[in-house]
Amino acid sequence: MSLTSRGVLGSAFAALAILVTAGCSNGGVYATTQIPTPAPPSSTTPAPSATSVAPPAACNPLASFAPTGANPAPGAMPAGSYMATIQKRGRLIAGVSSDTLLLGARNPLSGRIEGFDIEMLKAVSKAIFGDPNKIEFRVITAAQRPAVLKDGSVDIVARAYTMNCDRWQLINFSTEYYLAGQKVLVAKGSTAKGIEDLKGKKVCAPVGSTSMAKLKTFPGLVPVGSDTHTGCLVLFQQGKVDAITGDDTVLAGLAAQDPYAVVVKAPAFTQEPYGLGIAKKNTDFVKFVNGVLQQMRTDGQWAAAYDTWLKGALGPAPAPPAAVYGRQP
Amino acid sequence: MSQPTNPMRRSASTATGHGIGGAQTTSAGQPSQAPPTSGAGRPTNVAQPAGVPTVAGRLGDATTFVRRAMSGTPGRLRILAALGIVVSLLFGVSAFSTFGSTNDALSRGEANTAQLVRIQAIHTNLVRADADATNAFLVGGLEPPAQRADYTRSMAQASQLIAEAARAQSADGPALGALNSSVLSYASLVEQARATNRQALPLGAQYLRLASSGLRSETLPILDALVNANQARVGAEFDNARSESGALIAAGVLALLVLIGGMIWLSLRTHRYINPPLAAATAAILVTLVIGAIALSAVGSRVSQVRTGSYAATLATAKARIAAFDAKSNESLTLIARGSGSAFEKAWKSSSTVVADQSAAAAKLSSDATQMGALWTTYVDTHKQIRAADDGGQWEAAVGQATGNGAKTANTTFDAFDSSSGAALTSSSSAASASLEGPRTWLPFAAWLGLLVGIAAAVSAWWGVSLRLEEYR
Repeated sequence: MSLTSRGVLGSAFAALAILVTAGCSNGGVYATTQIPTPAPPSSTTPAPSATSVAPPAACNPLASFAPTGANPAPGAMPAGSYMATIQKRGRLIAGVSSDTLLLGARNPLSGRIEGFDIEMLKAVSKAIFGDPNKIEFRVITAAQRPAVLKDGSVDIVARAYTMNCDRWQLINFSTEYYLAGQKVLVAKGSTAKGIEDLKGKKVCAPVGSTSMAKLKTFPGLVPVGSDTHTGCLVLFQQGKVDAITGDDTVLAGLAAQDPYAVVVKAPAFTQEPYGLGIAKKNTDFVKFVNGVLQQMRTDGQWAAAYDTWLKGALGPAPAPPAAVYGRQP
Repeated sequence: MSQPTNPMRRSASTATGHGIGGAQTTSAGQPSQAPPTSGAGRPTNVAQPAGVPTVAGRLGDATTFVRRAMSGTPGRLRILAALGIVVSLLFGVSAFSTFGSTNDALSRGEANTAQLVRIQAIHTNLVRADADATNAFLVGGLEPPAQRADYTRSMAQASQLIAEAARAQSADGPALGALNSSVLSYASLVEQARATNRQALPLGAQYLRLASSGLRSETLPILDALVNANQARVGAEFDNARSESGALIAAGVLALLVLIGGMIWLSLRTHRYINPPLAAATAAILVTLVIGAIALSAVGSRVSQVRTGSYAATLATAKARIAAFDAKSNESLTLIARGSGSAFEKAWKSSSTVVADQSAAAAKLSSDATQMGALWTTYVDTHKQIRAADDGGQWEAAVGQATGNGAKTANTTFDAFDSSSGAALTSSSSAASASLEGPRTWLPFAAWLGLLVGIAAAVSAWWGVSLRLEEYR
């Protein structure tokens, strides 16, 4: 009997051990929570290759439509014209940049968007309404410029918009209101004298800009795309790119925001004539705007706007770019 | 108990009699040549050279012993006693393990629910901080101090909760580590945006955009993964807590079959109708089984109630709050983008739908959540006015309504939703926790009691059979 019960007890304890461990195994031990792998941020992805359309032969990118006589008086836009549509709406809708210091940037203190590009829009607003501030700003990126004109969500684009024959295929331009040129911005103390000295370095430019198209023509550089030039400056400050390329006007605005960034002294390696972008169908509005620009060139408004925004960064005012007409619809 | 040192001693000690075993045992190392036989009275111990223990000999001895002990009526009685003891102990152990593991599953379910609430609080705090940062940015000039303070408080709470969550659940450790580093980079980008903004440079806006987009592309997916993992854990533990009674019922039914069968056999053999100790053991197991099964099914239905009631309300309320703060951020981002914020407005719309759906779900489950839907609708009306103003070219007016503190501003209507939903979340999560806590006061006690019943039944079964066995001496 004693051995029998010992055997029974033994097997019972074995059963107990099995049950207790069965009850406790896996209890509270869980698979480690998986960490999702984030998609790489779009701002540092290399820019897609340029899809340039061959420009048609015999194209003068500077030639716009000549104004037909004097512009109508403010508040009296001719019926049926696109200006009458704008006047009826009560405001001019403009595509602008809110972060290109000197050209078009939001002033963090006042919250207002201001700059040299914006002065052009104010003159157009004044010519339509007699009030320079009847403007609704739509902040857009460089790549969005043709699309917002095409779908009619803005009347006009004033956003350092380089006139070229490719773009004339899609939209209309006013006459040239400023001649910028592409330069390169590097860190203070860099030995680079020009863009040729940046072989093997990462250089940033906004996607969809002429700066990016030009950047890709330099062999040996690593182009990096971003949404805007300010996005490039963030990458530059974070050490993710070595240099930024863009128009001298834009780079001056970037350098003004970072004491460790300097624009290389070498002369500009492109010519970037700025025009105001207008939808292809609104030729009458182009002629009207050209009339406004012509007025600005002659009555000193243009020089006043230059002195306010660009003189400090780019030196004394040059002569305003002359209007070139002769485009046939 | 000393181990037998050779087969001779072993057979001698056990063969000498029942009960007071070992009285005639010869001392170790002095094997007795001819052990006395007794009881079952079958001559044993065939030619086995003394003092030469062999494996074959040992095996032969054991087999012989077992065969002798189990033969005849006393042998059958011994088998019955052994079976009674085994099934009784098995029942006790099953009861102990069933009640114990139900208790453990409830405890882990509660801990996982708390972790889930904690993770969602981290999520809420982060989107809340982002809503503050983006809204303060819209105001020209310096950010309002109250909004700044709310941002700081939310970030401080988030980082405290991350540390608490890492301590509470080690399986979340690596994900929380990744979360911590991405929160750190979010906070540093916001600080850089502030510092740059303070110098009146447009660059600040870009840092803020980068912070917000990083939060959405990098930080929030980690939180989603953590929420999913903890939700799965809560579900698994709720399932465990509901489905533990099987082993108890199986062991109980087995014990009852053996004991009742034994009693019937005994009554047929001995012409005594009732064996009181065996009957007592049977009754104890039956009562424990019935009460235990009823109690466990009550726990199971309570868990089901929590799962579809206060726990579901907690989840819905938390989801509504997270989506609400996300919508508020997107409202500000739409205005900051100024005309090209259609992607943010689209995100606002999908978040707002989530808020409305989850508020409706929560209202069905918890009486504290009934106000949420109506308060959200009030905020949605304000948002629609803001959008109408912005789309109508009145950007300044829209910003004024989005950042001000008057009666019809987004901040005021949103705050009403925030405080109502916050109260609803607290009440439903503490209701869930209290419901899970309830059975845990008696379950450990029930586990030990069940084990005691099993042991007592085993003793009783042995006692009952040994009364009959005595008669064969």
